[in-house]
Amino acid sequence: MHDRTVVRAVTTSVVRLLLGYSMALVGGVLLGVALARAKAVKQFVGPLVLGLGSVPSICWLPVAILWFGLSETSIQVVVVLGALLPIAVATETAVRHVPPQIIRAARTMGASGPRLLATVVVPAAFPGILGGAKLGWTFALRSLMAGELLFVSGGLGQLLETGRDLGDTALVLAVVVLIVGLSRLSEWALFGRLDREVARRWGAEPA
Amino acid sequence: MFSFAKLVETDEVEDAAPTRARSQRRGASTSLDRVTFAYPGEAAAIASTSLHVDAGELVCLVGPSGSGKSTILNLIAGLLVPTSGRVLFDEEAIRGPGPERAVVFQDAALFPWLTLRDNVEYPLKLAGMPKGERRARSEQLLRMVHLWKFEGSHPHQLSGGMRQRGAIARALATDPAVLLMDEPFAALDAQTREILQGEVERIFQETKKTIVFVTHNVREAVRLADRVVLMGTRPGRILREIAIDLPRPRRIDEERVAWFAADVASEIRSEVEKIAKEEADDAWVAPGGPVHVDPRRNLGSGI
Repeated sequence: MHDRTVVRAVTTSVVRLLLGYSMALVGGVLLGVALARAKAVKQFVGPLVLGLGSVPSICWLPVAILWFGLSETSIQVVVVLGALLPIAVATETAVRHVPPQIIRAARTMGASGPRLLATVVVPAAFPGILGGAKLGWTFALRSLMAGELLFVSGGLGQLLETGRDLGDTALVLAVVVLIVGLSRLSEWALFGRLDREVARRWGAEPA
Repeated sequence: MFSFAKLVETDEVEDAAPTRARSQRRGASTSLDRVTFAYPGEAAAIASTSLHVDAGELVCLVGPSGSGKSTILNLIAGLLVPTSGRVLFDEEAIRGPGPERAVVFQDAALFPWLTLRDNVEYPLKLAGMPKGERRARSEQLLRMVHLWKFEGSHPHQLSGGMRQRGAIARALATDPAVLLMDEPFAALDAQTREILQGEVERIFQETKKTIVFVTHNVREAVRLADRVVLMGTRPGRILREIAIDLPRPRRIDEERVAWFAADVASEIRSEVEKIAKEEADDAWVAPGGPVHVDPRRNLGSGI
């Protein structure tokens, strides 16, 4: 009965999630690296990042709606802000903990500037960044669901709301199961693989 | 000992061709000219120190902790900037790190996310060498340090000695004029260390690179060096330079090596005692002094 509705809702949510998450990932890693490597950025933006990190991302929805109206953009703002800060904070920590000897070695071989960052600092920090990316993924999913619940716009969140309106507990629980499935699928398709690759290269115990 | 000799023999046969063709750049001179270095707000790590290392010379810096051995190495590497004085490479002032001065660190510092081969190719990639050439060169280098079988391994899969050999291969990749080695074998067991000392000597003789080698192991210094530079502390400075004119290849258990080593070691001991005394407020007494004291004698206590 809900076949088409469910498929459409899942597609809408997944597309939003992937779009918002990829923006948050790129932005979060860049922000995290800047926080760890540039003193000025840390001084001026650092406290702001931590402060904003404590604001649940759904709190941005009213502002987003005022600025962007009832649009895709508003939902994306919530998703991006939800995922960006945990990714940035994890990246900052990971970059700070890159063994200084590794960076020194790279410098003696002639690496410097953006090249040093791209070929040494970020790869060396990758295990920690991956942790942030995983965290960011769950934050993005939560923010998206919250956003869709409050803001009639299609997607799994709205389907939850529809289920409540119709008193259809089965539908509501089915959507919850779908959300869990989505998260497990991403773990299997992406993060699990990356985890195993990190374990293989760094010699950690595979999970 | 017998198996070690055999190992060296077979290696020479296997690697004769590639090592000959390998090195184009010979060693260059490097020197410190009245250099003082201090971290901000701290006492000088080295004070007004001058040192000249000739092209194609192997100099070992020996001294207790805090004598500024590694500081000198980092200054030549360009990782530190002198507070005053000048650091020269090939008669020109050093402005930061560069691939013509390669460093081998104590903990190898190979990149864990790359295979051994990719580690060796990393500096070549930075230098913009095309892929085919890079592959050939990394193979040559890994064969030279006897690690070709492990080219696809990640650093965590290798033993400490293998990692250090990998680090030496990586350091030699860009064909540097100066090889800076910062206690490279300190964390290795005695047998491995001995084999690697032989490797360094062989590479030194074949490539005519300038090598500055930091160690706290006096025998290692005497076994390797053309000249041993003995350093003292507070502030870090050069106490004495000792030319070691023994023929190569040398062996760690040679009598003449032991003789030189004993001489250098006695001088280091007096320096270490000086620090210990300062730290212990002059209450410290050197153990094993010449006065024989036997507490059980109890002279006169029974009267």
